Amino acid sequence: MPGGESNQILVQLEGVVIGYSQDTPLAEISSLNVRCGEIIAIAGLSGIGKTTLIKTIAGLVQPLAGRISVCGAEIPKRPDRGNLGYIPQRLGLVRHASVFHNVLIGSRATYGGFLGVLASKDAKEMARKSIEKMGLTEKIWEPVRRLSGGQQRRVATARTLAQSPRVILADEFLSELDHETMSNVSETVVNYARSADAAVILIEHDMKRASNIADKIMVMDEGTLKILNPESMMMEVQK
Amino acid sequence: MTEKIRVHPGFYFLMLFFSAVFVMNHAVDDWGRAANGLDNLKTFFYQSLWPPDWSVFKPRAYPQCEAPEWLEVTCSTAWIGMTETLQIAFVSTVFGMTFSLPLALLAARNISPLAVSTFARLLLASLRSLPSLIWAIFFVILIGMGPVSGIFAMTVYTVGYLGKLQYEAIEGMNNTPLEAADAAGLSGVDKALNIVIPESANDLISQAIFMFEYNVRHGTVIGIVGAGGIGYYIDLYLGFLVYDRVLAYLILIFATVLVIDAASVYIRSFFNDERSQKRPTWLGVFLPGQ
Repeated sequence: MPGGESNQILVQLEGVVIGYSQDTPLAEISSLNVRCGEIIAIAGLSGIGKTTLIKTIAGLVQPLAGRISVCGAEIPKRPDRGNLGYIPQRLGLVRHASVFHNVLIGSRATYGGFLGVLASKDAKEMARKSIEKMGLTEKIWEPVRRLSGGQQRRVATARTLAQSPRVILADEFLSELDHETMSNVSETVVNYARSADAAVILIEHDMKRASNIADKIMVMDEGTLKILNPESMMMEVQK
Repeated sequence: MTEKIRVHPGFYFLMLFFSAVFVMNHAVDDWGRAANGLDNLKTFFYQSLWPPDWSVFKPRAYPQCEAPEWLEVTCSTAWIGMTETLQIAFVSTVFGMTFSLPLALLAARNISPLAVSTFARLLLASLRSLPSLIWAIFFVILIGMGPVSGIFAMTVYTVGYLGKLQYEAIEGMNNTPLEAADAAGLSGVDKALNIVIPESANDLISQAIFMFEYNVRHGTVIGIVGAGGIGYYIDLYLGFLVYDRVLAYLILIFATVLVIDAASVYIRSFFNDERSQKRPTWLGVFLPGQ
């Protein structure tokens, strides 16, 4: 399983401006460092640019300015195959395929296969383990479209964990989950981040939930990203 | 303050319709010729077409039919022509799909680089630019008359036509699975085989069934230029002015297309998204609105 030195910076942003047009930039992030095993939650109002920030770090949207480095690869160069795991807000599952097929897409990224057709034994093993961790063993051959919203979120999480990434970017991956499932899923992700020294950046609206998982909460507001100090965090949680 | 005048959308349609009438009027030099059309049709129908000559379902005089009596219909020109047309349609649809899918994957702009997709699109457009009839003439000249020319002609056209339908379906798919795969660093082959094909499988299957149906209809036409199938016999009897036999073949084609249409609607319903709600009954397939 990939790991790293616990103080190593895995995600680094310097003077990054995000947005889709130079005329209307969404936000400017002067500096952000995420280290091995660190979990950061980003909160903020809808439409403020949180998803764009995550997509920019994932290399799916080009930054308008600045420097982004993920696992030592500076954008536009991409990190090594399988090192970056992304759980989109709309999950990005292959709806007509089974749970196993979807999770195997993730494990195949790291553990490989033959010509994109046959998955390696390790990839299959890793996919099964991730499905088990997410409590979806009974649904393993079920087409994803037949699962509930919460179960689909767990499939997307399993796909990313099966990849054993060094960096996880998750866009509201805990919404639509009931309390117990949410605790299990978040615990699995936190445990993974700690044991594999992986960095996690997640978008989370619910401050209480964010404070339970994250080491640091950042708020995107007025075009910048600010760290929420412990007092403010407590006030937000109590709201 | 002046109030803005809103024009009813129907007005634009009327304008379009009358402009078509104007253009047609310009193209027609003598409307008088159309006046006798109905009388001509009546004469032609009762003197030459009706009743259809069902002897096309009787065994041919030569070669001698060796099938048992109850299977004698299999020695008829109608049976031989129609089965050949169905065979041409089946083979060309399968071959066409085999070649069109890789090309469609290369042509789809959401998974292929611009230069590659432009080249693949040009190739597909060039195959589609000639109708199957012209391809049939080309292959008849190249390799002679018979079903092989028909298969080649229909395959080439299928690649061009089906390829376009396929890349449009691929481009219309939800982009989020591809974003997750891009972030993970998956290759183009990985994405095509594990995301694009499974995600668009229903559309691809549905399009292939539609293409088979289309090829059966067009398979009847290419026979006219000697590329095999029932069209060969239609052309033969048209040449001899034996229109009642031609009508019998046309009725057979109509019945076959109707059955394939119905089967295709039913089979395709299995591959639609919300299929359990939408699947038609057999009666509903034949009688729309049931």
